[in-house]
Amino acid sequence: MIQVIVNGLSVGAFYALVALGYSMVYGIIKLLNFAHGDIYMLGAYVGFVVLGALTSWLSLPTALGLVLVTLVTMALTGGAGVLLERVAYRPIRHAPRLSLLITAVGLSFALEYGVRQIFGPQPSHFPVQIDAGSVHLFGATITIARIVVILVAAGLMVVLALFVAKTRQGRAMRAIALDAKAARLMGIDVDRTISLVFFIGSALAGAAGVLAGAVYGTIDFLMGFIIGIKAFTAAVIGGIGNLYGAMLGGVALGLLESFGVAWLGGQWRDVFSFLCLILFLTFRPTGILGGRVQERM
Amino acid sequence: MALIPRRPRPPALLRPPVDLVQPLGRRFDWRGPRAPLRLIGLLAVVGVFVLPFLNASTYLMQILTSAYIYVMLAMGLNVVVGYAGLLDLGYIAFFAVGAYTSGIATTRLGLSQVQAIPLVIVVCVLAGIVIGGPTLRLRSDYLAIVTLGFGEIIRVTANNLSVTGGPAGIYAIPGWQFFGWRLRDGFSLGGLRFNGQVTFYYFVALIVTVLGVLGISQIARGRLGRAWKAVRDDEDAAEAMGINTYLAKITAYIIGAVWAGLAGQLMATQQSAISPPSFQFLHSALILMAVVLGGMGSTPGVIVGALFISLAPEFLRGVADWRYLIFGLLLILVMIFRPAGLWPASAVLPWSRDRRRAAETAPPPPPESPSSPAAAADRGPTADGPTSAPASPEREVRP
Amino acid sequence: MTNNYLTHRLVLIAVGLSTLALTACSGGVGGDQPDAVDDGPIRIGMLAPLTGSESVYGAYLRNGAQMAVDEINQQGGLLGRTVELVVEDDGCDAQMATAGATKLVSAGVQLAVGGYCSGSTLPTEQIFYDNGIPQVITAANGSQLIEAGLDSVFLVNGLATQQAQSAVKFAQKQAAQAIFTVDDGDAYPKGLTDAFAEYATGVGLNIVAHEQINKAEKDFGAVATDIVGRGADLVFCTAYVQPCALLNQQARQYGFAGDFLIGDGAVDAQFADLTGAAYVDRVYGTFTQTPDMLVGADSWLAEYQAKFKAEPGPYTTQAYDGVRVMAEGVRLAGSTDRAAVAQAIHGLNGFELFSGPATFTDQGVLADSSFVIVVLKEGKFVLYDDLKS
Repeated sequence: MIQVIVNGLSVGAFYALVALGYSMVYGIIKLLNFAHGDIYMLGAYVGFVVLGALTSWLSLPTALGLVLVTLVTMALTGGAGVLLERVAYRPIRHAPRLSLLITAVGLSFALEYGVRQIFGPQPSHFPVQIDAGSVHLFGATITIARIVVILVAAGLMVVLALFVAKTRQGRAMRAIALDAKAARLMGIDVDRTISLVFFIGSALAGAAGVLAGAVYGTIDFLMGFIIGIKAFTAAVIGGIGNLYGAMLGGVALGLLESFGVAWLGGQWRDVFSFLCLILFLTFRPTGILGGRVQERM
Repeated sequence: MALIPRRPRPPALLRPPVDLVQPLGRRFDWRGPRAPLRLIGLLAVVGVFVLPFLNASTYLMQILTSAYIYVMLAMGLNVVVGYAGLLDLGYIAFFAVGAYTSGIATTRLGLSQVQAIPLVIVVCVLAGIVIGGPTLRLRSDYLAIVTLGFGEIIRVTANNLSVTGGPAGIYAIPGWQFFGWRLRDGFSLGGLRFNGQVTFYYFVALIVTVLGVLGISQIARGRLGRAWKAVRDDEDAAEAMGINTYLAKITAYIIGAVWAGLAGQLMATQQSAISPPSFQFLHSALILMAVVLGGMGSTPGVIVGALFISLAPEFLRGVADWRYLIFGLLLILVMIFRPAGLWPASAVLPWSRDRRRAAETAPPPPPESPSSPAAAADRGPTADGPTSAPASPEREVRP
Repeated sequence: MTNNYLTHRLVLIAVGLSTLALTACSGGVGGDQPDAVDDGPIRIGMLAPLTGSESVYGAYLRNGAQMAVDEINQQGGLLGRTVELVVEDDGCDAQMATAGATKLVSAGVQLAVGGYCSGSTLPTEQIFYDNGIPQVITAANGSQLIEAGLDSVFLVNGLATQQAQSAVKFAQKQAAQAIFTVDDGDAYPKGLTDAFAEYATGVGLNIVAHEQINKAEKDFGAVATDIVGRGADLVFCTAYVQPCALLNQQARQYGFAGDFLIGDGAVDAQFADLTGAAYVDRVYGTFTQTPDMLVGADSWLAEYQAKFKAEPGPYTTQAYDGVRVMAEGVRLAGSTDRAAVAQAIHGLNGFELFSGPATFTDQGVLADSSFVIVVLKEGKFVLYDDLKS
């Protein structure tokens, strides 16, 4: 039982990190950034390359090296997110939503198969792995790697929450989410803030990608697809556009799946989470925290 | 507009939604603005019917048959995405439903393929209602991801049920059979011997596809088609004009489902074996690309797009790995620089005599056409249009 | 109005006439004009995944077949004619495979060798059969491939059922008490675990649970917990290399210490890397023999490396064997006629292949499968037990 919960939490931490980016972007420009899951994949590969480069230059202790790689990767994927927004989304930001969605699908394809053309279809082996054994707690076995994931995710989320709540830029984001036109009239640089949102969302997804590489040891070009959909599901369950909702939704979905697998068997896992998504969208499209939608961002 | 109700309306359920087709009895309009297009279409149809008499290599027949199946699929998706403006990312699910229904009906229930056709249609209509029913009330971006989810659910379910053959799928699906005569038997006509089934599948697929294309373009020009476009362009305005937007959307969904289902049956008979990997998300995306690249809401555009998407890997055999990357980039480029597609619905041939008239009577440009800078400025910085109010999150304000 | 109508009629008449004219003067109806005449080279068509997720294996298949073709040509060809290998991509996709098969037919191939994925090979069987082409399938081995009952289709790779039997033998030898089976829901892995379960329970082995994993995911913590929780001492994972490697890693992180047996789809040089250096003990695989496991294959290996500047991989030998089986059939039949070649191959008795002496059953599969048990040692899979004793 406790084991099931811990498993759910560690998967949920990944979902939550990716869901945050979905939710932030959605909250601010009402765009379902279909390519967001692939930013996560991109992050894993950027980390893979950076790690390769770093270890050839200097030999660092694994933990320190990993922290450094994560930071560099976050910066790089964040930049990639900003670039993608500039190139693909900004020119058509005022076009109908259908165009934006289709662009997002195209972007997702381009990222997946671009990486595939570079690194090949077979999975790559992530050179560094968090593998420090496991601890036993209340009859459950918890690997250190999973604890690290949960802690890192929680830490990043706290920082983000503080950023949005306390800083000037955070206030600008909230203002744009409420009413972009009014925000612009108040002198907020909307384009810059949107870029910032893409940067943060992509950086978080990139961090999740590096974590995934470091925890599981393998990365492949399609790893972002499923997690992208799951993260979106998580964002919806929590209440899309709502920061805390994304975190809550990620954890909730991780737990739901963990229990779903325990009851129904692994082959129905994806069906189970999609059914959760459909039920939520049909009966409570505002999600768990939907009552507080006005507070989004 | 004829869509404004003229007299008190009976309850929605009793009222026929909208007439399905315009009267079919129109003559060939030789001088109208779209006449050159029609002529090209006619010549193309004649050309593809004559083609097997010129070169009937098994390979050519096979890839063209597959291409026609794609055209059929793209025409169906065009109704959903191009006309009704609903982004369906799980369209391949209906293809799967059609293929599996025909496979199960013929291998397990002992029906012939011809007898299976009505069953395929009924099951697809039901699938359209079951999937579309709850989801069509959602905002369009929610709809996209929910349909994607449904697509995966159908595939995973087919992979795990025994009636669908599990992951191995269904095989030894019988071919077409008319009155005891099977295509595999071959026959002689005018001294020429038709052997092998590949050529026959070509004709079956061709005839079904031509009927499918004509059917959709008829419907699209009728009241139902205008209702779809109205819903696509402005759902609130459409509703205010008395269009039952939900009904219009679900009809689009059902018609798309039936077309995909028939395409699925064609595929099942052509391949004689179906299995879950043929129904992955990738294929949904490819059909969407065909529609978007060709031109949403444009019949010739969608046909060209479908032919391109399905034949490109054949011409690029060996470098086929690049195609998804290229397709993905093309999608972005088309959306940014030519959002109405390569052959937009409003396209008029340059040598048409009535270019001006055509421009006036042409259907309104699809929604993705770039708005003028002034209009964009008016709309303000949000993606929501001017009609945007602090909406209740349940309901879409505009598509 | 009348004008319109008239024009319409005229168009139709013109179209009708041109159709007739085209029909009358053409010879293209209803089939191929085989390019190859009787004294040209004999063309062997091969379908292999050169693109897509399985493209790594496509090259192995192609190279193996090319080795055999070159060898035959060096020895004077077949029926006095040279042999030519024509390779088409099937991308492991049914649609691409049927297009590729018909392309081969149109290119005038007389024999077909190849096929990696069962799902994409299945629809090609009927195409080759209808066009009078005998077919030897080199790697694909789903049981549905023989259920169509086409008498000119042969499999040189053992069936899932044969592989399952060798896995059961291994489990018996290891005296496994609690077996846990895992597949990824694909046709072949699932068929393998199903067959394994049937034979294993038949001989009294205890299967504690079966679980399906999603090959697109990386976190199999739930399954790993279950493996440990049920006290399994042997896990049989039939999915592909990445999910199996990750499952092995995660199960061992949770304290699994038993034998981890993988199906032939996961026996790959990458396994050791992907699973992590700390978890490579007691990893076994059911596999067909590869050249490096064979005694006396050194010269073959050297020739292969010289020719392709690469190491042979899984299914290289099967492709090589497949071409040789086909060539032997043609030689005995004295022609490339489908029925004659099929009869000749059915008549083979103890034809020497890499995998041992080959005799085909009525269904077209090898009577004796050549599955062996390999073990992961120093990052590579090496022969552990040939299960002959």
